[in-house]
Amino acid sequence: MMPVGTPNTLATETMADDVESLLNPTEADGIFRDSAECAGLLLFVGALLLSPQTPRPKKG
Amino acid sequence: MVVLALRGGGDPFDLLGSVLSRSDDPATVAAVRVLGADAFAPCTLRGKTPTDADVALVEGAVGAFPPKPGASSASAWSHWGMRAALHRVRTGAPGPDLGPEPDPETGWVASEPWQRMTHQLSQLAALAVPGLPSPLAAAVAKRPVDLARGFVRAVRRRDWLQAAGAGRWLAVTEGVPASLGLDGGLDLIHHMGAADARVALQVRAAQLAREGASG
Repeated sequence: MMPVGTPNTLATETMADDVESLLNPTEADGIFRDSAECAGLLLFVGALLLSPQTPRPKKG
Repeated sequence: MVVLALRGGGDPFDLLGSVLSRSDDPATVAAVRVLGADAFAPCTLRGKTPTDADVALVEGAVGAFPPKPGASSASAWSHWGMRAALHRVRTGAPGPDLGPEPDPETGWVASEPWQRMTHQLSQLAALAVPGLPSPLAAAVAKRPVDLARGFVRAVRRRDWLQAAGAGRWLAVTEGVPASLGLDGGLDLIHHMGAADARVALQVRAAQLAREGASG
């Protein structure tokens, strides 16, 4: 049978440092959207969509 | 469970029962120490009554993880907040009566740059409770504009947890610029970040504080 309870042998002293670090974490890195990059990507995709069709070899 | 109770459900409020654990389970005790005074948020913000087992659980967390000498301000103030919350649910008194122990220092609130101050305060959002006088809240009250600036910075960084914590402080602080649009900001943070239960908790606590202040 699988054990279902949390082992009670884990002493609180051993978790004190973990608790301290969880209470005082360093600031997470922000996720920024570079407006110039986004605009450039949009222009590139727009140019692709608006470009003339690739020439095809004529049949016969 | 705490978020559910803040939204008006989860009656009766039974934190320990919701996690099917014992009050002396070290992992549960450590988790409550990290949760801090918000373990009693449904009691301090919505007037729910804690169970005896939950009171014993928080008492155990306070006793098991005291701030060590030289501990961070976050650890010291979080411990202070838990003791204040315990006093409040035991006696119903709004103010803390924390005995002879001196309050943790608050000089960093005035001396830190606004970015760092906001980050630190967001860790201590559990202390942003209406009607809980504290030296920390008094120090925060002197920098509402800087805190608003930090709130906007956190939103722009998409750091929803920090933004929610800062928003909760702003909800209980006087002098916040009306042009900030705090209510709309809280809605946005909830929309973007509420998949994280910690964000949902801070936003709901802030909204309850706003509702209490306006009504």
